[in-house]
Amino acid sequence: MLILLAGIFVLHIIGIIMLLVATIDNAWWETDMISTDVWFRWIKMSNGLWNQTDLPTTHTYPQEYLQAVQASSVLACIFSIISILVFLAQLFTLTKGKRFTLSGIFQLLAALSIMIAAAIYTDRFHLKENNGWYGHCYILAWISFSITFISSIIYFVLRKKTA
Amino acid sequence: MLTFLALAAVAFLGTVPQQSQSIVIYTGWERHALVGSDVRLSCSFFSWRWTSDDVTFSWTFRPDGSRDSISIFHYTGGAAYLDNKGPFRDRVEFVGNPARRDGSIVLKNLDFNDNGTFTCDAKNPPDIVGRPSSVRLLVFENVPIQAGVITGAIIGVVLGLLVLIVVIYYLMRFLVARRVFNLSVSKHGKKKKEGSQQRQGPAASAEPAKASSDKKKQESRKDKK
Repeated sequence: MLILLAGIFVLHIIGIIMLLVATIDNAWWETDMISTDVWFRWIKMSNGLWNQTDLPTTHTYPQEYLQAVQASSVLACIFSIISILVFLAQLFTLTKGKRFTLSGIFQLLAALSIMIAAAIYTDRFHLKENNGWYGHCYILAWISFSITFISSIIYFVLRKKTA
Repeated sequence: MLTFLALAAVAFLGTVPQQSQSIVIYTGWERHALVGSDVRLSCSFFSWRWTSDDVTFSWTFRPDGSRDSISIFHYTGGAAYLDNKGPFRDRVEFVGNPARRDGSIVLKNLDFNDNGTFTCDAKNPPDIVGRPSSVRLLVFENVPIQAGVITGAIIGVVLGLLVLIVVIYYLMRFLVARRVFNLSVSKHGKKKKEGSQQRQGPAASAEPAKASSDKKKQESRKDKK
């Protein structure tokens, strides 16, 4: 039982770490010269250093969708952190036989938010650019979606048992 | 003891070398305003000396893209002198209070040519060594919302809704529980005939409820595994 509990906890923590890296680190879309994420763009200078610039505000880079991606990726991190705190609280206060529904709900909200963020980013940005590729943060965003989703399902199914 | 400390503090302040005393001037960093509106440019200073009667304030303007500054305001000897020849002719007003170390001015009826840097220089004799401070004026047709504000607003609204839902949920549970509690109390009250026993009724029904919830907590702690 303790192993199961530890496993679920570790899975949740991994989900949180991936969400944080995806939101904060700067590699959603990369080319040879630039590295972009939802907040800024980094351009590689001739001397090898990276220079931080603002994201372009042209019509191929719609501002409203960018803000939606920013907001929902931050919300995904917040929901996941709230979910693990609620899980820890419910470990001590839940009556025997009941399910961890509240943690599951928050974790599901986190999964939905990061899915919304990644989906909007896929559909609205870099549609015509062929000389770049999706960076590791983008991939982590999708992987964290699946991890948080599985984690929330586990919380909905798990029951509080005796040893 | 206290007087000794006070005297020591005054003596120490008096012996502070002259170089470390300098006047520090504060203005804003950037000001945004709409075309045709008025904007207040604030300027104040910090000085170790008392505010002297010869305190002076000076505002100069450097347009965006130009390297020359032009003086637009000067306060000295108790009187304010406003721009009467330059780009701000009849558009400057002194709204500061020199006795309170405030040298703010108001620019009226802004135009796109007023985009630039305004520098405030204040002197409080004998404290005259200091660095003037600058504020940048940006004149817009419509004031844009800063990039992070919308994102922050979305996050705040969602979290606020969440908090609201949780509060409503617990409120509903509390009210329903209280209703059930009141009903059980009134049933108890009808069954007992004596008044004194009626008063013990609520306390007696609260005690078993507390005991059972305590037992539940102990059980769930053991059931953690």
